[in-house]
Amino acid sequence: MSAGPVEILALRSAAAGALALAFGGAPLGVLLAARRMSLSGDAMSHAILPGVAIGYLLAPNNPLALTLGALIAAFVIAGAASLLSRLKTIPEDAAFAAVYLPAFALGILLIGRQADPEAVHELLFGSAGAFDRDALILAASAATASLVALALFVRGFLGEGADPVFMRSSGAPGWALHLVFMGLVALNLVAGFRAFGAMMTVALMMIPAVSARFWARGFVGQAGVAVLISALASGAGLAIAALTKVEPGAVMTLSAAALFAASAVAGPRGGLLQSLPGRPHLEG
Amino acid sequence: MSALALRNLTLGYDRRPAVHHLEGAFADQGLNAVVGPNGSGKSTLLKGLAGDLRPLSGSIDLGGLSRRDIAYLPQDSGVVRGFPMTLEGLVSLGLWSRRGLFGRITGEDRDRISAAFASVGLTGLEGRSLDEVSGGQLQRALFARVLVQDARLVLLDEPFAALDARTAADLIGLIRRWPAEGRTVVIVSHDLELVRALCPQTLLLARQAVAWGKTAEVLTPANLERAEHLSEAWAEGAGPCHQDEHPHHGHAA
Repeated sequence: MSAGPVEILALRSAAAGALALAFGGAPLGVLLAARRMSLSGDAMSHAILPGVAIGYLLAPNNPLALTLGALIAAFVIAGAASLLSRLKTIPEDAAFAAVYLPAFALGILLIGRQADPEAVHELLFGSAGAFDRDALILAASAATASLVALALFVRGFLGEGADPVFMRSSGAPGWALHLVFMGLVALNLVAGFRAFGAMMTVALMMIPAVSARFWARGFVGQAGVAVLISALASGAGLAIAALTKVEPGAVMTLSAAALFAASAVAGPRGGLLQSLPGRPHLEG
Repeated sequence: MSALALRNLTLGYDRRPAVHHLEGAFADQGLNAVVGPNGSGKSTLLKGLAGDLRPLSGSIDLGGLSRRDIAYLPQDSGVVRGFPMTLEGLVSLGLWSRRGLFGRITGEDRDRISAAFASVGLTGLEGRSLDEVSGGQLQRALFARVLVQDARLVLLDEPFAALDARTAADLIGLIRRWPAEGRTVVIVSHDLELVRALCPQTLLLARQAVAWGKTAEVLTPANLERAEHLSEAWAEGAGPCHQDEHPHHGHAA
């Protein structure tokens, strides 16, 4: 069975989009994981549903409306959760839980009665064919914005992540930095959701980031490894999905999971093989 | 710089005072101790001095210093040990007050960081990540960051807790030099022997100033007993107090 020119073009677009998302999302995933906010991205992936639903209800066949709706919902949720966590009564993950669950419920309510099942399926799990020209521009823009912001604000992002108490007492603009950071997470998430599904996009952000901890010590090293693993998982997942005619997001996520398992076994920084007995500490 | 002074200062949480009506001044370019029973308001006072906690009433006169002139090392440092950062990265955060978010790190800055590592005995460990060092090494690195900050006012909350004797002795040696370098140091400590040996001035707290002045005159059995009594007698749900209920405000000598 051979793929036609349309399928090949769609595959190439999806691969280019996935590569852009790897460059933009994976370094952010490293920071999310290091700040013990791994599930915040997952929460946000649920929370964009009301925005998507409103976009769908206003313009059912307009990808731009869906994307804009998702983007607005993601920014609102990220801002609300960050604001709640600044009250210091509840931690940020709890703030996300308090915000995203009602948002998800609202999304289900809005979309459940209106959309046909196929459309809901595409919204949740994505479709590789969704990487049209506009989607590719958005993914490239998200990657560019993420890398530029990381280059500009890396000192602040790292300081806030490693020692937020010190940064606060030093007068660092922690609140603004956090909003920029969560905004970038939201942007990358929305850039990928129509092609790969929101949850799968988060998976491609987080699983490579967590895997990278087994290979590298500092942020730059971990970010580089995470980009590589995300790109490899995306490439392998897209190829398998094209051959087996299944949704690419899920296969890409499983590919990333396989690379995580390999990292957890063979990684030089705390991998399973490193902890096996039999490594002598004396020679001779 | 003029002395760091407290003007009828009350600090607390959710509008409940944790320590109140403090009036006095710390010794400028000197070693000052803050002691008292558990829950007496020592850490709260340091948070207030650091600017992390706004006064419920009264004020803090920083004597012309700004926030960037203050180095604050809380009891729980808040360092996220699993974060992908090296010790050098942690220490270089001390440049924040001078370089901010976008300022270029100069050769002079790098020399300052190297010198700070040497001062705390961590040369060679710059590339270690935060999860690869012991608690003592991390505390040394945090002192190195204080050196890099080059702050005029240094606030230390139980800086020697859980440290081995050698590390504590090394860091105490470092602190002793700071007044001569023009720094004012305020140390919260439970260790009264250490305070007697290190700090000429002491504030004894029990939610209020029990005594404030020369360490030998403050850390008397009578004052310490009174501090214990006041701390135990503190009523969490007490209503607003009046100034004349507190005739024993301490003052620096």
